[in-house]
Amino acid sequence: MDFVWEPEYAAFRAELREFIREWRTPELFREYAERYGAPGPRIRAFHRALDERGWMRMCWPASVGGGGRSLLFHYLFVEEMEYWGMPYGNLTFTSVAPTLAAFGSEAQQREYLPGIYRGELVFALGYSEPNAGTDLASLRTRAVRVGDEWVVNGQKIWTSLADVATHVWLAVRTDPDAPKHAGISLLIVPTDAPGLAIRPLPTMYGGHTNETFYDDVRVPVGNLVGEVNRGWPIIMHALNHERVGLAATGALARLYDELVAHLREAEPARLADPVVRRRLAELWLRLREHRVLALQNAWLIAKGQTPIAEASLAKISATELRTELANAAMDLLGRRGGLSAESGARAPFGGRAEWTFRLSPIFRFGGGTNEVQRDIVAGAGLGLRGR
Amino acid sequence: MNLDPTQTQALLRETLRGYLERELPFDRIRALEREGASDAALWREMAAHGWLGLAFAERHGGGGGSLVDAGILVAELARRAAIVPILELVVAGRALEARGDAAGAALLGRAIAGEALVVPALLEASDRFDAVALELRGGRLDGEKAYVDHGREATHHLVSVRADGAPGLCLVDASDPGVRCEPLRSIGRTPVCAVRYAGARAERVCGPEGLAALVRTGRALAAVQCVASMEAALDATVRYAGVREQFGRPLSAFQAVRHHCANMALRVASARLLAFEALSALDAGVASDAQIALAKASASRAAPEVLMLAHQIHGGNGVIEENDLYFHTLRGKERSLAWGTAEECLAVAADTVSEPVEWL
Repeated sequence: MDFVWEPEYAAFRAELREFIREWRTPELFREYAERYGAPGPRIRAFHRALDERGWMRMCWPASVGGGGRSLLFHYLFVEEMEYWGMPYGNLTFTSVAPTLAAFGSEAQQREYLPGIYRGELVFALGYSEPNAGTDLASLRTRAVRVGDEWVVNGQKIWTSLADVATHVWLAVRTDPDAPKHAGISLLIVPTDAPGLAIRPLPTMYGGHTNETFYDDVRVPVGNLVGEVNRGWPIIMHALNHERVGLAATGALARLYDELVAHLREAEPARLADPVVRRRLAELWLRLREHRVLALQNAWLIAKGQTPIAEASLAKISATELRTELANAAMDLLGRRGGLSAESGARAPFGGRAEWTFRLSPIFRFGGGTNEVQRDIVAGAGLGLRGR
Repeated sequence: MNLDPTQTQALLRETLRGYLERELPFDRIRALEREGASDAALWREMAAHGWLGLAFAERHGGGGGSLVDAGILVAELARRAAIVPILELVVAGRALEARGDAAGAALLGRAIAGEALVVPALLEASDRFDAVALELRGGRLDGEKAYVDHGREATHHLVSVRADGAPGLCLVDASDPGVRCEPLRSIGRTPVCAVRYAGARAERVCGPEGLAALVRTGRALAAVQCVASMEAALDATVRYAGVREQFGRPLSAFQAVRHHCANMALRVASARLLAFEALSALDAGVASDAQIALAKASASRAAPEVLMLAHQIHGGNGVIEENDLYFHTLRGKERSLAWGTAEECLAVAADTVSEPVEWL
């Protein structure tokens, strides 16, 4: 047992950091913020550069055009991207791509994976419905096969990015008479398909999520991922990968580092206060407590396992820590901790503390609520029987 | 990087767990607790199996193992609530090894054989490892150490002192007429004493770096012990929640109970990984004081929460002494205090909190 990174990992991280340093320009972040996740010219160029280095596919098997490296490199890649807040494809890259690599047909892998790696394709996730949230398997959006097409009717909600995405990764009911988990399929729906309507829902963290309405939307049968009525395991696989991304330490470590750097440079007297230092040490501890869980999860995945309880532990830990950190950062900064980016230079580190606080609830209930994750830990992890 | 135990480590864990479950009945531990004694019979057996030398170099009669290996040994003994000075032996032995002289090597060889025992004697009234007041003058010691684990059965004490103004460690023969042990009763119910040194003959072993290294090793291993108590309590709780029924259902079917257990698992997983990460960093020679302190802080803070959740789920059955849970509660809390409380360890980290952190 040893926790020490071999030199090749440290070298990769250093190279990646240097590369990001060249790309993390105000222009790129402006484009990211304004277009809200839609790849504009700068983000596209960044993605192409990442793909040219081989980093977007370095860990995938050679059969899907990958480099076959240990998934620990992928873990470091995601951590570093999250730390600097870079647009690297996010859920399209961390959840849809590996699920397509596992369940997609060869034709689908050829059609979508290169575009994902180059940042040209963005998938919105179409899981939740107004009456199917945590109980996702009760979803009712219907797809009926008519000739060589699936015809989709229904309504989804929280379809974030749908307005800027190229595709929706859509969970549909294909057999209403089967037990609820056994009648679900997974479809890829182009967002320009006729009959797909999108209504934005502005959020308290800026930007918006969406409601999406499907009115006789037709997609070719080739857009079905895996087998018909066997979509549930595919969704679980994708959600598991989503949790790995949600569990990343990067953004949390960045917030902590920015807080300390701000105090060091702008408020040294506050940083000299033993009470403040004690509180920072506690946050440092919490981050270290989380980091080893994320690492354990990555380690199991890199070994070829599919961690269930370990993924849930890391997801719970990361998402609750995000709130805790943002809240503590604001408390330590006092009234100015509540200043938003719009306040300009008066807002400490771009108002990221207050923004993170506003954003943080979605991670705790998204990707499977933390209550469900705790049940997964109790059942799959500890073996506690549920009845 | 390899977060899994090696084959040898997995075998060691399995062997120890099986051996201790077979050979160490909890009732024997209850009797030892009443006497305030340590498990001399188990210690002899461990010496015969070669386990006492696990983490020492082969030239001293040891097994050439790492601190991670020692951590596995220490964890299994703590899981079973065994009363043996294993942490003390590893920590003091490593300091003797680092000294590298013939007398130290001979003493270590006897300790590995179970014929001698060297234990650290560190804390004074201030309760801080770096606040050493005891002075070594002209080869003699005068003063008191407040909490010395297994001090009465030890043949030698490795005492933190100031010598020529600098802190360090010195070795004292416990049979010296100037050494007097006063037994104490502490929450962990393992033998601990206050030791009075009155002109006891002492011999310098190492300076400030040696003392700091000893505290780092002891702190990381104490974190492992603390985690092991939590793990044992969690295991007992999961078993109990599966068999105890109320309202016609096992406790494990109630979501509030399931979430308590998940929260216990969360705290235990972090603390266990951090404790072994700390040992691994010590083995690789890359550990910082802050890293070790934070690993101990994690275990120390988690222990009371995890242990008290175990009690909440056990109800009345958890507090009677015929149930085994109390071993883990009392030992776990004791280990949460030993080698640095959560507050002391956070204070160590707070010292360097303004420096940039390398998250890799």
